[in-house]
Amino acid sequence: MSGTTNDELPRGTPLMTVHGRRRGHVENLLGAGGQGAVYAVAIEGTRFALKWYHDDIASIDRTLRARLSRAIGIGPPTDRFLWPIDLVEIAGSKSFGYVMPLRDGDYNGMRDLIARPPKRIDLPLSKRVMVCLRIAQNFLELHARGFCYQDINFGNIFFHTQSGDILICDNDNVDIDGMDAAVFGTRKFMAPEVVRRETLPSTKTDLFSMAVLFFYIIHSWHPLDGRRENEVQIMDSSAETSLYGRNPVFIFDPQDQSNGPVPGVHDAIVARWNSLTPAIRSLFTRSFTVGLRQPGERVLEPEWRTNFARMVDGCVSCQHCGYDQAPRQGVKGQTLMPTVCVACGRPMALPPVLLIGRDTITLGPGIGIAIHHIDPDRPVDFTTMAGIVEEHPTNKGVWGLRNMTRNAWKVTLSDGSAVTVDPGRAVRIMDETTVDFGRRVGRFVTGDTASVPRERPR
Amino acid sequence: MAIDLPNLGQTALVRRQLQVVLALDCSGSMTGDKIASLNYAMRAAIPEMRAAAADNPETDLMVRVLRFASGAQWHVPDPTLVDDLEWTDLAAGGETHMGEALCAIADILNPEYMPGRQLPPVIVLVSDGQPSDDFDMGMKRLLAAPYGQRALRVAVAIGGDADIEILERFIAHPDFKPLRANNAQDLVNRIKWATTVPVKSVSQSTNAPDPLTVLARDAERQKKTASDVIW
Repeated sequence: MSGTTNDELPRGTPLMTVHGRRRGHVENLLGAGGQGAVYAVAIEGTRFALKWYHDDIASIDRTLRARLSRAIGIGPPTDRFLWPIDLVEIAGSKSFGYVMPLRDGDYNGMRDLIARPPKRIDLPLSKRVMVCLRIAQNFLELHARGFCYQDINFGNIFFHTQSGDILICDNDNVDIDGMDAAVFGTRKFMAPEVVRRETLPSTKTDLFSMAVLFFYIIHSWHPLDGRRENEVQIMDSSAETSLYGRNPVFIFDPQDQSNGPVPGVHDAIVARWNSLTPAIRSLFTRSFTVGLRQPGERVLEPEWRTNFARMVDGCVSCQHCGYDQAPRQGVKGQTLMPTVCVACGRPMALPPVLLIGRDTITLGPGIGIAIHHIDPDRPVDFTTMAGIVEEHPTNKGVWGLRNMTRNAWKVTLSDGSAVTVDPGRAVRIMDETTVDFGRRVGRFVTGDTASVPRERPR
Repeated sequence: MAIDLPNLGQTALVRRQLQVVLALDCSGSMTGDKIASLNYAMRAAIPEMRAAAADNPETDLMVRVLRFASGAQWHVPDPTLVDDLEWTDLAAGGETHMGEALCAIADILNPEYMPGRQLPPVIVLVSDGQPSDDFDMGMKRLLAAPYGQRALRVAVAIGGDADIEILERFIAHPDFKPLRANNAQDLVNRIKWATTVPVKSVSQSTNAPDPLTVLARDAERQKKTASDVIW
């Protein structure tokens, strides 16, 4: 939309919330979209965002008001959703809108990960994976409540570059799974069966759009854009329908290379793909091979969540060229494989790690291990720490893991001797030292780097 | 496992482009406040175009500008990234050689002038009068160009003397009509619309089966705002 239509609300326009009967007024226009515009408003002294629809939207989207009312009644799945709080009406207007929390200005749009340099934000791999993890966690909560989002794309999810936290906007399409959807979705994010107009959005198509978004966040690229896309001179609607609807092929489809990467064109995408853990590559492969054709086979959020969480722990950067990647694990995750950098090809010094079950946690100054690492019953939460890597206060160059829990750890050194690490004390990071955290047992592997951890990409 | 090493230093992913060609009527009847308003509208539209381009981050939005009066000359001859576009004011004077303008556009609607991966080009035709040369010949050349049929065509009619029928033939879509600008404020809004909404239509969520229907619906919404004040 142009943002200059006749239904733009002037500053000071009085408004009233429908359920709460609270009064407020319009402050300023924040942005405009196809369905309406978003304004900053003040209601009894507190600032909110108001989405105000074009006059004709209510007649085009007949279930909109009922959807919003239901969403308002049920409340947000998590506090990461900028969820409708109340409907809003304005005297003398045929249209309506809803208020929601204002988006914090510290968050960036997903488009910034794809934009043309120098506008592009180059986020470290571990942070990109953290953003994916948060998205999986939050959409799990939405889908588990029986809702579908219908239009996941890079315009309605925002991320924080430091924390990797996210905010999910545009919740006005959210509906009960199985109801007739109000939108088809956004180009290049729609599931193939929606592109072919065989079905409307549902939880199953949300799962496809979410996998596309994950691929975009990590690669800054679309999973179905390979050789065939590269050969399309003019991307008109028939070419789009073929690539994303009728005959979609994953760029990394192991069986069908017809849309594979073109050497010299897609090299950066190939390097990024090679830098991922085998588990994440396998989830992408499932999503964009069998998942293209069988909506019931699409990867659900818990599987993404588990494997993104593991990858967040494991990212390292090459000491020669700085390229971020996940180190390769040996058989059953018992050790790290000697490996070469996927970008520069030089041998990589293996970082000191803590191996706990199938989790590999790369250790570096200030890196923490979370409660969920040592207690399998705790939810994935990187903010609650069980231990932190610290340098010895007087003996420089000696690093240890400080026990931040309330329970003692039982440590077995490589010579078989046992010591206890009480809460608040630290255990030195030495090769083949085993730590019994109570619920799980971990083992330090320092490889060829002795016990001096390197900075982990943050 | 052997991994083929990528050459990250030497390869940069080439981005798909969206070419926008603006053909602006600078005939004598545009002299005075109309051409001043058109220049103002273009300056106002550029930031909006940049914002629309940012919404579609996989694509580079490239702009060319053609002026037509007695003959047609490129005002911005090289496709210019919208972020780098700086507006130089146009001057009015002469006839309305719209046919010649369409021929000049036809000459660049091909892979030589629009190389690499492209979205369908967008052509915006802005005029306040009737063509004084052979419109049909220009239209024929345009549609015969390699990318001519696939170009999305938008037209803005300035004032009451614009030839709506000619502009409708240029668009050639049953639901999508020329936008009318009857005063300076209208013109600013129409130019903004014509230079941004077709760009957004490729990246927006949609209820409609095809982008032109979205454009038609949105243009309809615009029409309601047209002022009754005639120049």
